[in-house]
Amino acid sequence: MTGMSLHKKLEENTGLLIFGILVVSAIGGLVQILPVLNQESLETPTGSTEPYSAVALTGRDIYIREGCSVCHTQQVRPLIAEVERYGPYSRSGEFVYDRPFLWGSKRTGPDLHRLAGKYSDDWHRVHLLDPRSVIPESVMPAYPWLEDAPASEVGDIQKKMQVLQRLGHPYTQDQIEAAPQQLEGLTELDALVAYLQQLGSAVSREEAP
Amino acid sequence: MVLTLVSAAVVGWLIWSVYFSPTPHEPEEELNEPVWDGDMREGNAPAPMWWFWLILGATVFSVGYLMLYPGLGSFSGMLNWSQDARVSNAYEHYQNQFQPVREEILAASLEELQSSSERMNTASRLFARECAACHGRDAGGQLSMFPDLTDQEWQWGATAEQVEQTLRSGRRASMPAWSGVIEESQIEPLVDYVIAMDDSDAEQMPGRAVYMTYCVACHGAEGEGNAMFGAPSLQDDDWLYGGDRASVLTSIAAGRAGVMPAFDDRLNDAQIRLLVAWLTREQ
Repeated sequence: MTGMSLHKKLEENTGLLIFGILVVSAIGGLVQILPVLNQESLETPTGSTEPYSAVALTGRDIYIREGCSVCHTQQVRPLIAEVERYGPYSRSGEFVYDRPFLWGSKRTGPDLHRLAGKYSDDWHRVHLLDPRSVIPESVMPAYPWLEDAPASEVGDIQKKMQVLQRLGHPYTQDQIEAAPQQLEGLTELDALVAYLQQLGSAVSREEAP
Repeated sequence: MVLTLVSAAVVGWLIWSVYFSPTPHEPEEELNEPVWDGDMREGNAPAPMWWFWLILGATVFSVGYLMLYPGLGSFSGMLNWSQDARVSNAYEHYQNQFQPVREEILAASLEELQSSSERMNTASRLFARECAACHGRDAGGQLSMFPDLTDQEWQWGATAEQVEQTLRSGRRASMPAWSGVIEESQIEPLVDYVIAMDDSDAEQMPGRAVYMTYCVACHGAEGEGNAMFGAPSLQDDDWLYGGDRASVLTSIAAGRAGVMPAFDDRLNDAQIRLLVAWLTREQ
């Protein structure tokens, strides 16, 4: 009857069939996506999570450009072995200012999410320029060019912060105005080290795991 | 929650319509339908029953699951299960498991720990994991930047208490940059004096006066250093940043700011005690 003839119409009309398939798969997608859009825990910053400073934001862009997330994850999983090795497992609210997040999916090197304060700035410098000078068995590539490139030329920092502001990151107008000055005289190496030294510092280790 | 229930209802309707409400076929409609194997046409055979039982089983399972575990909106489930609690409990259990050993380590004297090869092996592994990235696998220091921990020279003090303090809170050395403070013409003589300090005739050198004005507060009148500020001794031949003229000149003109990170919240008390014992052992 009507059920059957609708079925027939769908089967015989390719356009309708495609439309029908899209509707059905969209329902499957929406069921998963819609609840997440309203999930408070994904929008509320954990601990002292703050928007990235101008320098750290630039460092983050260098991290992305050099493909660090190909070999390093930024997510400590809620497992004892990880908590014992790296520190408190990663909370969703720590990534509210990560666009996009850099969780990564493969660990050729160690996880970096709780890296803040583990090494000195000097160590990071020599290690990035020549990893094997401090860790002989390391397979990490060297990034010697970071030392010579000025941090202020990694894109337009004010534009970046304005876009993020529009997306809801609470940058103040003062912060955006002061941004170019903060990058003045810094190299890409400085910016990257600044980014690495604040990774995962929003959650206190005493509250471990 | 609404979404979950709506989805469940839709699935229920689908099953009902497939098994319990077969669409009657109009004869004239069937004329235009394709026929296979003589009598097989669309919609004239019910879906297999094993498939129905499979779905029924899955439904029963999912109802049970939704009652026990979180899944229905904000309802946290009758078992009160949460990922956070799972890790916390497992971690607590893990910590408790090692508590007796830790207490044993904390109760033992440094000498006892040092004479136990088992304890020292643990400490050595701990060092490889936590400290070797900077100080090297053999603790011999690296790169004119990270100090040798096997010698007698301890910038921040060699006693167990001082080493423990260094491990727990970290250290932040701050040799200021003297370029611009000390007159350009006086820096060279100062470098000469600092290098030659342990010689007997150094007293007569012109750099001594400069030294006594700017450097004496931290490094002491005889260059003996002061572990309180992490000011190294200048009398010996041990130079963290290099003892050649150029390196000493850089140290004075541009300053040095070595940083030892704090390990208080990365290591537990027993681990720190083991490391202190390992670092201060006779070698």
